[in-house]
Amino acid sequence: MAKIELNDVGLTFTIRQNKHVTLKEYLVRGLLFKSVAQPGLSVRALSGLTLRVADGDRLGVIGHNGAGKSTLLKLLAGIYPPTAGVCAVEGRVCSLFDITLGFEPEASGWENITYRAYLQGESPASLKRKMAGIAEFSELGDFLDVPVRYYSAGMMMRLAFSIATAIEPEILLIDEVLSTGDLSFHNKAKARMAEMMSTARMMVLVAHDLDTVRSVCNRAVWLQHGSIAREGTPDEVVDAYVRSVNGGRDPSPHVGGVTAATALAAA
Amino acid sequence: MIQHLTAIWKYRHFLLALIRLDLRLRYRRSVFGIGWSLLNPIAMTVVFCLVFSGLMGNGNWRAYSTYLLAGMAVWGFLRDSTLAGCRALLANESYIRQSPLPFGLYTLRTVAGQAIHSLIAMAVVVVMASALLPGGLNILQGPPLPSGLTPGGWRTFEMVPIVLPGLLLAFVAAWAVATIMAFANVYFQDTQHLLDVGAQIMFFLTPIIYEADQLRSRGMNWVIDLNPVSLYLGLIRDPLLTGQAPSLTLFAQGAGFTALLVGLAFGVVGWLQKRVIFHL
Repeated sequence: MAKIELNDVGLTFTIRQNKHVTLKEYLVRGLLFKSVAQPGLSVRALSGLTLRVADGDRLGVIGHNGAGKSTLLKLLAGIYPPTAGVCAVEGRVCSLFDITLGFEPEASGWENITYRAYLQGESPASLKRKMAGIAEFSELGDFLDVPVRYYSAGMMMRLAFSIATAIEPEILLIDEVLSTGDLSFHNKAKARMAEMMSTARMMVLVAHDLDTVRSVCNRAVWLQHGSIAREGTPDEVVDAYVRSVNGGRDPSPHVGGVTAATALAAA
Repeated sequence: MIQHLTAIWKYRHFLLALIRLDLRLRYRRSVFGIGWSLLNPIAMTVVFCLVFSGLMGNGNWRAYSTYLLAGMAVWGFLRDSTLAGCRALLANESYIRQSPLPFGLYTLRTVAGQAIHSLIAMAVVVVMASALLPGGLNILQGPPLPSGLTPGGWRTFEMVPIVLPGLLLAFVAAWAVATIMAFANVYFQDTQHLLDVGAQIMFFLTPIIYEADQLRSRGMNWVIDLNPVSLYLGLIRDPLLTGQAPSLTLFAQGAGFTALLVGLAFGVVGWLQKRVIFHL
């Protein structure tokens, strides 16, 4: 039983002038100037999010850049802990974002498949069955014997995508800004994603392509400045979003706005 | 606490695969291969032996070199685990940014690699102690060391199982310290430099190149009594060299101190595990 429950969740980053303080600096400032607390800039990435995603839901998340969409995904994946509220996620999560991170550059493609698969919770036995499938899907052939250090970005992406999508997740978290290499692989990846979306018990999709949200999702939320501006059926939410983009804050649809909206949605 | 450990257990395949990789990379394209893990302690032993065996070991180079190498092996493990372990979170940042794994796993990766490395050195120490100490294959000439390093031969091998709990304690302690320092290093990146300096100082405050009794006879008991490293030396090195099992008191002290470190490590993990991602 997969479940996502967010209860009044907030996430505040503190941004510091210098990323790292040395102990020396800390002590000197503390002792001489009595101002240890660095003037950090607080950025509220998410605030007051209450969201329930149940089995079978396909949730689309839309909004401007910097609205907190990616942060929300990372929160759901368990990478960022909430700084306020309660975030409960149950089920086997598969996250498709930042997937090229965390390769061991000195190890071969085969070995990296093993590491990554273990990281996703496979056991040696279950991996054995999938290994050939992953290798085949990546189409990397003999390159799998070469250390990943020598891979091009596109090859890395292929490998990462093949591994990441080889598990059967209960909860699928996708950032749509996932670029997947050259055209032939891109089409294949799209098909694989569509298949995963249909088999996963639950999905959260961050999308800029509003058409995808309309066609794939059965629910949608519109994030604005880290909180939910609107929640409902995909058509309803996407329409509202498009109206606000075209007509400023004016929610009433007018002819020009609608045509532009359809053009945008079709793009 | 239990939760953290079961989470690490859940990812044991991942951990083991990475430890294997680390070991392989370490020795790849090197002529001596695994021999490199011995080069540093052996080189140090030779140098110290040449310089100090007359000064500290009564001219008894066989006993003194064994004593040195044994001390160096234990010390080297504790030092390297701490120094390498404190970079564990920064080095594994890309994994941390991708999956919510328990943080203890990353320090365990480093410390376990160091442990395997050090076990090779320990094996050499056992063989050396067996061969060079009196009662072994060679009969020592010259006066014995003050603390009476007498046995050798089979007695050394008999001591190996008795030393195992000590090795386990040292391993757990090193893991705990590495974990604490890894978190500290994320917040203050000069932690690793401070540790470097600290290790340098500790080396001379610990009875490695000299004997504990030499300090005690000069009324400097506090150096040894306050130094936790001498606990682990007492549990691992001394039984191998003297053929006498460590006293229960020493064992209890070692276990107690290790438990303290583990408690601290869990405290730090519990306190910072939800915040450290924002500082990476």
